[in-house]
Amino acid sequence: MRQIITKRLAMLVLVLFGVTLITFFLSHVIPGDPARMMVGQRASEETLQEVRRQLGLDQPVWVQYFTYMKGLLAGDFGDSIRTQQPVINDLITFFPATIELALTAFVIAIVIGIPIGILSAVKKDTGWDHAGRFFSIAGISTPVFWSGLVGILLFYKVFNLLPSSGRIDLMVTPPPTITGLFLVDSLLTGNWAAFSNSLWHLILPACTLAFAQLATVTRQVRASMLEVLGQDYIRTALANGIHGPVLLFRYALRNALIPTITVVGLSFGSLLGGAVVTETIFGWPGMGKYVVESIAFLDFPAIMGFTFVISLGYVIINLLVDLTYYALDPQIKE
Amino acid sequence: MKRRWSRSHLFTSLLLSLSLLAAACSSTPANQSQGETKPPENTPAQNASAQQAQSATPTDTLFVAINADQGTLDPAVTFDNGAWKITYPAYQRLVEYDGATTEVKPGLAKEWKVSDDGLTWTFTLAEGNKFADGTPVTAEAVKFTFDRTLKIQKGPADVYNVIKEVKVDSPTSVTFVLNQNFPPFLSTLAANYGGIVNPNVMKEEKDGDLGQNYLANNTMGSGPYQLSEWRKGEYIKLTLNPHSSVKPAIQNVFFKIVPDATSQRLQLEQGEIDIAEGIPKEQLKAVMAFPNVEVLQEPSLAVDYVYVNSTKGNPALQNPKVRQALSYAVDYDALTSSVQEGFATQMRGPIPKGLWGHDESAHQYKRDVEKAKALLAEAGVSNLKLDLLYSDNKAWWETEALALQSFFADVGVTLNLKKIAYATSREMMDKGEFDLALGVWSPDFGDPYMFMNYWFDSNNFGLAGNRAFYKNDKVDELVRKAAQINDKAEREKLYKEAQNIVIDEAPYLYLYQMDFQLPISKQVKGFVFNPMLEGIYNLADMSK
Repeated sequence: MRQIITKRLAMLVLVLFGVTLITFFLSHVIPGDPARMMVGQRASEETLQEVRRQLGLDQPVWVQYFTYMKGLLAGDFGDSIRTQQPVINDLITFFPATIELALTAFVIAIVIGIPIGILSAVKKDTGWDHAGRFFSIAGISTPVFWSGLVGILLFYKVFNLLPSSGRIDLMVTPPPTITGLFLVDSLLTGNWAAFSNSLWHLILPACTLAFAQLATVTRQVRASMLEVLGQDYIRTALANGIHGPVLLFRYALRNALIPTITVVGLSFGSLLGGAVVTETIFGWPGMGKYVVESIAFLDFPAIMGFTFVISLGYVIINLLVDLTYYALDPQIKE
Repeated sequence: MKRRWSRSHLFTSLLLSLSLLAAACSSTPANQSQGETKPPENTPAQNASAQQAQSATPTDTLFVAINADQGTLDPAVTFDNGAWKITYPAYQRLVEYDGATTEVKPGLAKEWKVSDDGLTWTFTLAEGNKFADGTPVTAEAVKFTFDRTLKIQKGPADVYNVIKEVKVDSPTSVTFVLNQNFPPFLSTLAANYGGIVNPNVMKEEKDGDLGQNYLANNTMGSGPYQLSEWRKGEYIKLTLNPHSSVKPAIQNVFFKIVPDATSQRLQLEQGEIDIAEGIPKEQLKAVMAFPNVEVLQEPSLAVDYVYVNSTKGNPALQNPKVRQALSYAVDYDALTSSVQEGFATQMRGPIPKGLWGHDESAHQYKRDVEKAKALLAEAGVSNLKLDLLYSDNKAWWETEALALQSFFADVGVTLNLKKIAYATSREMMDKGEFDLALGVWSPDFGDPYMFMNYWFDSNNFGLAGNRAFYKNDKVDELVRKAAQINDKAEREKLYKEAQNIVIDEAPYLYLYQMDFQLPISKQVKGFVFNPMLEGIYNLADMSK
């Protein structure tokens, strides 16, 4: 086990190195000049060169890469060109919002998705199954910008129940930062106004994002359940008079969950990256929105920092998923 | 089997009708849906959101929805008018733009004089202006500001490179010595980068950055407002400068970041925000129907025009008659209505309406197919094929290019559309590798210099401004002379003479000035649009 972890960690470093290499060169090869964006269209050549020098853009790309990596190894993501602030500060500000959104969506997708999946498997080819399929396929095939807008129209405009954008009301003071997750921080500090307000802001974007992920969960659970339910040991159990919830949950679901965890765990990674559109629609102050603005400004250090953190998250989740696999399925240890 | 099918069928139709309902609701007129608003129920959060949505934002607080978060706010660094809307009300300048005009009026300086050679400008400061920390604004602070900008050497420094030295004569008098006469100098002082910065910023200096890091996130000016809170990605809040002598009605301003246009539109309709900056043109007609909102519309100084390469492109274009023929081929009314939904005004020569120097009596080209054909025949040109260079930088350029193509086809000119990546297209424009190219231009300071000297002086070939690579010795002489004297009436005369030549010789197709449009709540009073300050609010004069 320890050997596996060590090996995987070494791979992790290698993958991250590759990611920095690719993103750095890609973002520097595409045409466009952040210095020009900064000084305005009509600036003189001298000013332009001076700003390029200040930003280090006058150096050859590989020198720039080397400088960047040297900083990165020391934990320095560099300064954002657009905000002139250390990128790490921006990441610390925006990352928790994305995590909060993605995590909530993830939980919703699981809490709703697993029962639908089980139901679809047990009542295979009935109206329940069709309805479940319709609902989850509708989710995955509806673009988030559409389902998000319909959500806003219904729950903000028509029913006037939920806010349409932001993480908390402008007039409500957010809880002091402990984890950066508003729900957790406001609970920890017992700030009920902030808790309910941020929960209210979270519902719509999280449900939208969860809706898009639902199919991944339901289809996987359904397929694994069907497979497991057809196994001999289930028949044996049935013959022995075991049925109902005990059979379903203790005998079937446990085994069906193993492949599900892989798929669902990996989908969390795509939730992190896929939150970009959702964040833009709901004005959610997360990493996705931040990177969209950075791309528009050709803010290399910010783009690099974002990609690095997302890749790191992805790789770690990947690792965790594999480890859970080992824990759940004793056979794999051999 | 049959029974099963019908059950799932039922469910499907239920879902379908639900989504139809959603679609139908979206087109419900505003007043109807407001009538359906439920009374607030017991849950506190529901209560809060319902209250917020139903009405009425507090009357001393203004809510402006903006599309994206801002970059640095340092007046010596930023060249982005998105940031200027935050900083402009937080700083004061020596002179200020007067109301809706491009003329200046006294600001921090109550009076000023310029030497006959135009090289020495002396400003006398009004007393009683204070920075937000209570320190008075002195001549020392003025000198500090400009020295700092020049030392930082970013975009704004480029504008002030004409300054040789700033001298403090007394605490209330400051003198600028220039390298050369530059009549628009006064106007540059009214722009955002002319904002006077509190010298105390040096207490926040880190690693010799002259406080750039601090001012990126903070304001240190003497304007009626100051930045009090910035929640990244959420909002930027301005509150009053307690030491300002101005006492505005609006005490707090939230610039709320709402990236999605539809959300902005809904929030404006519900009264949750007062101004929505990010609603695209094609949605504005629907916004006009909201009972609580009006859409302000004013001609801006941003123009859309075509560079006709007069020396380096297709040789036929070196003949002014051919360029005139192209100018006569364009159906300007059809163009503004198809490309800008009618929210634009045809130009009359290079200087746009609203800027001094604009000549209302100048010749304006109108579509005349026969005349265009005759001019081409006179020039001995037939079967002319031209390339039109443009990029995806402006969404409307595609439509515009197609429109021009069909106008030119009517006079027998074939237009070949060349759409190229923005960065590459700029490079080609700079080198003159095109026949015709689409472009936009807006002035940095309120002086016809911005158009006449940039566009026509043959020293400015390329992206710098003379993008038509046009050279006429008489025009060179006129615009250079106009840039050397300080008598406004005399300058206006010179520019007028030059304008007549460049309209006649048509090195550009003068298409249209774009309209500035702003959806704003009817509750908000006192907003004045100044074409030099597009996107900037005169917050201190506004109320609700």
